[in-house]
Amino acid sequence: MTDFKKIEEKLKTEAKRLLESGEVTVVLCYGKGFDESHPMPYAAKAVADVDNIVFNEYCNYNMARYLVRYPQGTKIAIAVKAADSRAVIVLIQEEKVKRENLVILGIPVQGMKNPKTGEVIDSKTTCGMNNPVLFDILLGEEVHGPKVASPYDVLAEYEKMDKDVRWEFWVKELDKCIRCYACRKACPMCYCDPCFIDQSKPKWADKAPQSAGNMMYHLTRFHHLAGRCIDCGECSRACPVDIPLYLFHKKVAKDCEEMFNQQAGMSMDDKLVLVNFRVEDSDKILE
Amino acid sequence: MLKRIAIEKISQLAAVLMEKGTLLAPVKEVAGHNFVQILDSQKVDLNFYNTLMSPKSAFFPHKEDFVKYKVGKPLAEAEPVLLNCKPAFLFGVRPCDVKSFEIMDIHFNAAGIIDPYWRARREATTIFGYAYDISQPVDSADFYNTLGINAADPEGSDIFMVKKDKELLLKTITPKGEKLLAELSALDKVSTADEKYFEEYIKKGKEYKTRFNCVDSEVVAKKLESIFDNTDFWTKMSAVCLSCGICTFVCPTCYCFDICDDNMFGKGTRSRVWDACMFTDFTLEASGHNPRTQVYQRLRQKVCHKYSYHIRKYGVISCVGCGRCTRQCPVNIDIYSIIEAALKA
Repeated sequence: MTDFKKIEEKLKTEAKRLLESGEVTVVLCYGKGFDESHPMPYAAKAVADVDNIVFNEYCNYNMARYLVRYPQGTKIAIAVKAADSRAVIVLIQEEKVKRENLVILGIPVQGMKNPKTGEVIDSKTTCGMNNPVLFDILLGEEVHGPKVASPYDVLAEYEKMDKDVRWEFWVKELDKCIRCYACRKACPMCYCDPCFIDQSKPKWADKAPQSAGNMMYHLTRFHHLAGRCIDCGECSRACPVDIPLYLFHKKVAKDCEEMFNQQAGMSMDDKLVLVNFRVEDSDKILE
Repeated sequence: MLKRIAIEKISQLAAVLMEKGTLLAPVKEVAGHNFVQILDSQKVDLNFYNTLMSPKSAFFPHKEDFVKYKVGKPLAEAEPVLLNCKPAFLFGVRPCDVKSFEIMDIHFNAAGIIDPYWRARREATTIFGYAYDISQPVDSADFYNTLGINAADPEGSDIFMVKKDKELLLKTITPKGEKLLAELSALDKVSTADEKYFEEYIKKGKEYKTRFNCVDSEVVAKKLESIFDNTDFWTKMSAVCLSCGICTFVCPTCYCFDICDDNMFGKGTRSRVWDACMFTDFTLEASGHNPRTQVYQRLRQKVCHKYSYHIRKYGVISCVGCGRCTRQCPVNIDIYSIIEAALKA
């Protein structure tokens, strides 16, 4: 089992060292919230801030979301868990951040929990990985244990649905949407400014939380994330009405893997599937 | 008048109310309970702490159609959407949410222009307040005590309900409630023990404590005014805010809206749709200029509107401490903690 206290201490030590030496100007990590089971994402900018750093099983935030908020060239240290490190890789590949400006603090972890439900976060709603893919400093022991369940197992039921049933499923699920846009805001890959849904010329969908507009927003967002979603599950956890957004993202990720033999953010050497043309690429997408 | 009913028979009461008009009551949905128009009396579920969305949508729906029109046709041919208000019953509203209606009345039913939609719905509705279960622990996000509201505050309800074991005691508070309760045959008579229990419960409700910040509205309003320019403070408070709209949408006292025209194939609808000061395009002007492009400006607006400008303009804080914004925030930003920090800033 992960020793959360030990990781917290190491996180504090590293943050202190990095801020003190001036190596970075901000450490993106986790801080105290209004109570212990509600920690917050945290941007430590001074040595004095280090005391506020925490790490426990509820620190499920993907801090990569905040990288694009800082001007290019800012030296940033970022605490990442497995999926978060994949997000950092994609952001580097998409040239939103430069590798040399980052100090990546990897956190191998098992048993993170959703603060809203108390459920353990596993491969059902995320990629289910335990160890960061990319890091400069590792803040704990890598987790080696029984092989984790495939992140696509949860799709079994979903894939049984035929086209019409699947459409009905999404109509029903997306009708719940209240259009608070927490999903896109929590997503590390959703950094467009402005987002298409905020544009007024042309206006892509109406503002009211109705079926047609909800469909327009979510289906477009789903497809904008094709080959880019790193399956951290932040969108589904942020959703106040529990829409299982992860199902669509996982399905597209699985298709990408089958067609292009590649998962987003698993290697710095990859090129994103949808911006990379190879003659031997699958034509299944055109069928 | 005090009456009682067994909680397991609540669907019978629901059925009677449904015959009389529209019943809005808590229903268990995937992510939590919500006030929903009841079509099946069995669905009413009082086994909840508080609803996910606030009950404001009973009077101020997320989308409200005003006018239907045809593009290019004269104005006279446009048809206003008339409100067909049947008597309505809003069942099981927590005391802090009941209080929110009073605050919202300021905007829709008192100051300046009166909103006919809000007023018509408000007048047609009988409110069944429902005390928090004081035998259960309080949720750590709640802070309604700070705003002078307690867990069993009957004020503002037409009928107030408390739970007694497996029964529900219903007490009339207003003449409207009195009239309705007298007509409800599904209810049983009470004993003197029930009467005593009810009175005791109201008293004990005052001792049931949420988080408490000794907020003098004048002091907090003044403090927030004085730190308006303290960009460092607001940047720190908003450093991780995602600027999504959850907090404003679940809030019982957020009332900002946008007027939208939605037209396709020559047919159009003009409607009012909830908006949120946390959205970038909320303040986007026609010229393209946006006075609030930064997250800190938007969070500052939300906090100061509720805890400063609203006090200056209307004399009351525009918050009831229901804790929904804190509970639902994807990054656990807590407005109570921001006020606490502001007072120390």
